[in-house]
Amino acid sequence: TEWNVSVWGKRRAFTEHVEKLAELVSAKTNGEFTMNVSYGGLSKNRENLDGISIGAFEMAQFCAGYHRDKNRVVTVLELPFLGVSNLEEEVAVSKAVYAHPAAAEEMEQWNAKLLMTSPMPQYNLVGTGDPRDTLAEFEGMRVRATGGLGKAFEAVGGVPTSVTATEAYQAMESGVVDTVAFAQHAHLAFGTINQADWWTANLNPGTVNCPVVVNIDAYDMLSDAHREALDSSVDEALDHYLANYATLLEKWDSVLAEKNVAKVEIDEAVLAEFRAKAADPIRDAWIADMEGQGLPGQELYELVVKTLADHRASN
Amino acid sequence: MDNITIGLWVTSGMLVMVVLGMRVAFAAALAGFIGIIWIFWAKMGYAPEKFLYWNERREIWDGALGKSIAIAGSVPHSKVSSQALSLIPTFILIGYLAYYAKLTTALFEAAKRWIAWVPGGLAVSTIFATAGFAAVSGASVATAAVFARIAIPEMLKAGYNKQFAAGVVAAGGTLASLIPPSAILVIYAIIVEQDVGKLLLAGFIPGAFSAIIYGGMIVGIAVIFKSVGPPVTGFTWRERFESLPPALPIVAVVVIIIFFVYNPFGDAWGTPTEGGAVGAFIVFLMALFRGMRWPELKSALLETAKLTVMIFTIIWGVLIYVRFLGFADLPGAFSDWITSLEMSPWLILICILLAYAVLGMFMDAIGMLLLTLPVVYPAIMALNGGEAVTAAESSFGMSGPMCAIWFGILVVKMAEFCLITPPIGLNCFVVAGVRDDLTVQDVFKGVTPFFVADAVTIALLVAFPSIVLWLPSLA
Amino acid sequence: MAGSSAVLEDGSLLSRLDRQLLKLEQVFALISGLAVFSLMFLAAYSVGGRKFFASPLAGYVDWIEALMPLIAFMGIAYVQRDGSHIRMDMVIGKLSGRVLWAAELLSVVLILLLMIALVMGSWAHFERSFDCARPLCSRDSSIDIGIPIWPSKLIVPVAFSVLCLRLMIQVWGYGRALVLGLESPVAVPLVQSIEEQALAEADQLGGHDNG
Ligand code: NA
Ligand code: NA
Repeated sequence: TEWNVSVWGKRRAFTEHVEKLAELVSAKTNGEFTMNVSYGGLSKNRENLDGISIGAFEMAQFCAGYHRDKNRVVTVLELPFLGVSNLEEEVAVSKAVYAHPAAAEEMEQWNAKLLMTSPMPQYNLVGTGDPRDTLAEFEGMRVRATGGLGKAFEAVGGVPTSVTATEAYQAMESGVVDTVAFAQHAHLAFGTINQADWWTANLNPGTVNCPVVVNIDAYDMLSDAHREALDSSVDEALDHYLANYATLLEKWDSVLAEKNVAKVEIDEAVLAEFRAKAADPIRDAWIADMEGQGLPGQELYELVVKTLADHRASN
Repeated sequence: MDNITIGLWVTSGMLVMVVLGMRVAFAAALAGFIGIIWIFWAKMGYAPEKFLYWNERREIWDGALGKSIAIAGSVPHSKVSSQALSLIPTFILIGYLAYYAKLTTALFEAAKRWIAWVPGGLAVSTIFATAGFAAVSGASVATAAVFARIAIPEMLKAGYNKQFAAGVVAAGGTLASLIPPSAILVIYAIIVEQDVGKLLLAGFIPGAFSAIIYGGMIVGIAVIFKSVGPPVTGFTWRERFESLPPALPIVAVVVIIIFFVYNPFGDAWGTPTEGGAVGAFIVFLMALFRGMRWPELKSALLETAKLTVMIFTIIWGVLIYVRFLGFADLPGAFSDWITSLEMSPWLILICILLAYAVLGMFMDAIGMLLLTLPVVYPAIMALNGGEAVTAAESSFGMSGPMCAIWFGILVVKMAEFCLITPPIGLNCFVVAGVRDDLTVQDVFKGVTPFFVADAVTIALLVAFPSIVLWLPSLA
Repeated sequence: MAGSSAVLEDGSLLSRLDRQLLKLEQVFALISGLAVFSLMFLAAYSVGGRKFFASPLAGYVDWIEALMPLIAFMGIAYVQRDGSHIRMDMVIGKLSGRVLWAAELLSVVLILLLMIALVMGSWAHFERSFDCARPLCSRDSSIDIGIPIWPSKLIVPVAFSVLCLRLMIQVWGYGRALVLGLESPVAVPLVQSIEEQALAEADQLGGHDNG
């Protein structure tokens, strides 16, 4: 069996679990089941779910925020200020939501089955000029942030501005935006760190959720041995991803020092104020919207909160 | 049959269709579509029922044909709805609006009053006026057509050789695609997924450089053969300064496009897409001021729509073929082959450029680039040492992104060169078409010295990449 | 290389259908031109808003992406009508009579088959983004401000369907020329020499005598 896997960009920390999965599956099946990872050759990133639905390829990665209407359920994981503080917690809450019947049912409409997440750290800001560490300073701030995150900054007077990830550097240089919200690997990959004067170390406003899915028909057609090889490799692939990302995060502090970027710690009082203004109304609006469409919004949100608490208790 | 073999068959089939005269866009799309069907059918084992399989659980066609229809049918919208591609229609619109803003005559008048006193003066003025017009026009052929009407009569009046005058205009027209705005540079950037802004910036100096080489060659010819083009003198300083204001919007557009990409004095003003659109807006205001009204605007819009659709149809058509290549992985195989050759990378590069010269004799520039780049570009990048290579470790002495820019300028210059070479040099046909007193042979004869100039330019760009890379390396 | 060319007209049913369809194609092409025009204002508004009023246009990229299909597809049949889609006429330019009509017929039949497939495929692409059980019928939304994408996806099969109609007329036109052995058939673009094409191209710009 040969599977085509559609991801995008270049090979990076964000795609390491997919590469590892391919490696593990092939090793476990003596090369009988291989995966051919294609970086953008098979589909545009925002059409990967369409490709899975058609059966153009058997596995793909996408981000929920690219097209909220395609995947309403998993956008719960992109709500601002969920309180997720590290990648392990991100894996835990994603796993819980992916296992919820509403998520499975919505993905089934795309002939897709959620396999694993691509855990992303919190999207902290890099910015130019003086650090913005009070809510008053967010007023009028042009920020590159998409989806729920953009809404959060809007709630405190920021101006979310749409530029693509590849244009983010240019947008920052040209003053189209004052700040850019990315995960660390993206600040490095898209060069926004080179423009930065400061980085918010603890704003932790939220992140994007990027599942890896498989085509249901292709999954069902696998022999038992091959399916077992795939299923059993998921956790191992995620562990590899987490370990790899951890080394990247270790490097992060030295990159900040080298580029002379100030590490801004925001007061807990300011964060609380931000949460009150942004998190609560956006979450309430999201829940109302989902319930209005017949989806269990409240239940999903509570699932995330409970999973997070359980995960912390068990560690 | 393996995917590479399928890739070769389909690619050959596409080239045969193109040579036999099928519209390039549809030949590429059809080849891609058939290729995708073939790949999926091969994957499913060529069973007849797998070709037209109906998946009852999901109530859709799920065989090779159904999947291929769905895959190919998603490409046009998916690829075309891109912000970067919006530069192409904007650049085309600027050119048409500039015509109604009467910028062509204004430029020629200004160039004439300021520089016609040198030997071969009117010809040199024509070259610099076409270079100036290139800054508001994305299309070479249009530039040649417009200047054939303005500049040739003046040169004939001043006693210029008829064939030479025609050659000057045909060659000057080619400058439009290097000097931004340039639709063809945007297309290159999209196909190879590189920074549009840096590529546009990279075009300025080679474009100006080409103009200077043309100008220098004209002066040389005029000095040696006194009869070719006598100087034109007698303009007062007052007349010279009076000629400047009507040509000013050109300066405004150049400044805007540069400053939106790279501002030497501080923060750039925005993104290239915004720069192009704001430039168009200024030329639009100028055209309104110069008397453009709804009938003229409507015809500008229709012509823009027409040219835009022609270009976009080729783009999505070729991208269906490229999607097929993605499934067949032919580009990977080709670059493996190129890098395995026991030849100097420089020699391979020169062979590829020569192949473009031959291909360009028969093909349209945009079609040629779109059809070849998906395969050739990855090979060039691999030859240099990969996308992420550093300058020190590379074959051509430049980093991956810089190599992408450099090669882009080289192939665009090659494509422009082909606009004036026989047997199918479109610019020469256009000039001959505009002037009743000129045959195509006359124009080809007159343009011959410019081949030499272009060959020199290309050789210099290959030998001294910093001519291309200096400006983009600042941004 | 390019080559817009003359389309002859007469009183026959075929020619009347050709001209009726042309009216629709012209409207579509003009919509495409106006969409290009609006790009200009969108950018001027976005830059102006940002520079002078600290209020950039929300979802600028989303709006441009939604406009692009209008620009790129609406004129496709209009361009096919007079044969302006780029091709190499080295070989086909040397043919004449029935051989030429047979070659042209084969070419438009192949294009028609392709376009029928692409109408189906682009319709399926639209359908995946469309579900009227949901707010605004939206099953696919833009990245930044979440506007529904289906209207933009719907443009593709619509424009391609008009192209299919145009191709059917051309199949009829070339087929008729082949069967009857006509010299200069109506409703199809006639091959011009490169010189004639260049002249036509130059006339487009020079016709208004203000250059
Ligand atoms: Na230009
Ligand atoms: Na040529």
